Amino acid sequence: MNYDLNKDNVISLRDINKTYPGAVPLHVLKDISLDIRKGELVSIMGASGSGKSTLLNILGILDNYDSGTYHLDGVVIKDLSENRAAELRNRMIGFVFQSFNLINYKNALENVALPLFYQGVGRKRRNALAMEQLERMGLADRAHHLPGELSGGQKQRVAIARAIVTKPSLILADEPTGALDSKTSGEVMQVFRDLNDSGMTIVIVTHDPTVGEATDRIIRIVDGKIESNSQFSILN
Amino acid sequence: MKTSFFDIENWREIGATLSRNKTRTFLTAFGIFWGTAMLAMLFGGAQGFEGVMRRNFAGFSTNLGAVFANRRTLPYKGFTKGSGWNLTTEDISLIRRLAPAIEYSSEMNNRMSTASFGTKTKSVNVSGVDGDYNRIMIPVINEGRFINSGDVSAGRKVAVVGKDIATSLFGNASSVGEYISLDGIYFKIVGVASQLSDASIGNRLDECVILPSSTMKRAFNVGNKVDFFVYTAPAGKSPSDNEATIRRILSSSHSISPDDRNAVEFMDISEMFEMIDNLFLGISLLALFVGFGSLLAGVIGVGNIMWIVVKERTHEFGIRRAIGATPVDITIQVLSESIMLTLVAGTLGVCFGALVLGIADRMTFDPVLGHAGFELTFRAAVTIVALFFVLGSLAGTIPAIRAMRIKPIEALNDK
Repeated sequence: MNYDLNKDNVISLRDINKTYPGAVPLHVLKDISLDIRKGELVSIMGASGSGKSTLLNILGILDNYDSGTYHLDGVVIKDLSENRAAELRNRMIGFVFQSFNLINYKNALENVALPLFYQGVGRKRRNALAMEQLERMGLADRAHHLPGELSGGQKQRVAIARAIVTKPSLILADEPTGALDSKTSGEVMQVFRDLNDSGMTIVIVTHDPTVGEATDRIIRIVDGKIESNSQFSILN
Repeated sequence: MKTSFFDIENWREIGATLSRNKTRTFLTAFGIFWGTAMLAMLFGGAQGFEGVMRRNFAGFSTNLGAVFANRRTLPYKGFTKGSGWNLTTEDISLIRRLAPAIEYSSEMNNRMSTASFGTKTKSVNVSGVDGDYNRIMIPVINEGRFINSGDVSAGRKVAVVGKDIATSLFGNASSVGEYISLDGIYFKIVGVASQLSDASIGNRLDECVILPSSTMKRAFNVGNKVDFFVYTAPAGKSPSDNEATIRRILSSSHSISPDDRNAVEFMDISEMFEMIDNLFLGISLLALFVGFGSLLAGVIGVGNIMWIVVKERTHEFGIRRAIGATPVDITIQVLSESIMLTLVAGTLGVCFGALVLGIADRMTFDPVLGHAGFELTFRAAVTIVALFFVLGSLAGTIPAIRAMRIKPIEALNDK
């Protein structure tokens, strides 16, 4: 088996396995090995139940894996304490969810500033940094609006601003256009493209071929295994 | 990574969370408010009630003993059942010498007389007492002085008149220095006195004329007879400690059967006060029990609400965990809300309780006897709030631990 722990890799997975216990244990991920380089825009595609969301959760340190190794920007992700996992999620990963997952009683600025709050950044500074990202998303005039007062596309752009406010190594997006119409989906994908052009590494989980085609590389997962990896070599 | 407990964002979030469910927050806060107010009111109210009740005995020694003669109920040494006998000054001297637990004492003789000054007359109770009587039954001296030991030993023809008698005979004019006639015998008034409370030995001081015991015996031909012997026991002793000695002395001096418990009447007022003390203790304990019950109900309410809040916000906690909140951050958030709710509502409840007690204290204020004691000391107020703070924190702890244990992935999937 060829291991490539290239320093340019943001994500390096080797032989990752994940089984959900139960009366009938469910082997969801089977010997997944995968490298994602810095500055890549990658999509992970697969049918429902293929294991792509489980893979995303492992990549996002939201879930554990049973065996294998996972390096995130050179850091070994294995058996982390809850506090260490929270710290790594906060500093290294930005999440974008299908249902936006904004806190509905906080305005756009407060939502974007929240990851900085957990870093202990002072209020003035975190608000300034959050406003900077909202301006980048073209939402400065919506900074003090609650999520309920924003359109779907605006909500997703607020979520993206929140994901990038800590300048993470990796953006993980789970079906980011799943709740949007095709026009708005196109706009959101353009935001991802722009972010990628500025050097950010982005991994998008999707079952939408249009979204997949808008990325540099498509990784297809079938029945817990990587079936195809359209641009770079599969290492297992 | 640290979330500051004192970061304004933390407190703004608490405010936002609590104000999102105004009715629920109000009802929970009211439970705490009422719990602390009840505890404060019952705690201070029990004290005030005791103060009001104790006013009835103000100036009256609570460790008082009294002895007086009764008819024999058993025949003994030639004396038949039903025969009478009298306490004498010689008995009192012996008792004072031999009884082990007497601090202050006085003999007492009583009679009815007609008091007159000028053309005014009034039927009055006259009591002859010793110099220490005012240490047993503390009078209010409205004018002049009380009878003292010098008056008794010198047999001075002086009198202290009760306030009501002074008013009847002298109106608003000063009576001190004037001479009052009691059944035609003149006594110089040296003082006007009244009593603090309703409790008295015999008649109310306000309606009595007090003479030195020696003077009364001589003036009214009482001889060596004594109606009552009253005394107080020193601190740590009981009036009853003297009972055996007194009974032995009197049995021997007056040929009373040692088994005749009724011939010598012996009263120990301290036993009655002990019962009253126990009653007040019971009331205080009941008040505390009921108060703590209210408090506990309020705290359980907080715990219940925080539990619901955690269940409702599980998904939000998942989002927070995903973007970097540690379990401790979530715990602090839940606990902060619980503590904030209990502290604010608890403080308001204590303030309300103190206000009600203040009004009760003002309403029961007496210019002579002062405040009844409906009050909440600062220390007690702080204790109640601190207690609520601790219990409120504990109430929030279980939901907070549950919130802390939620896995981010499970929380995110919770809709």
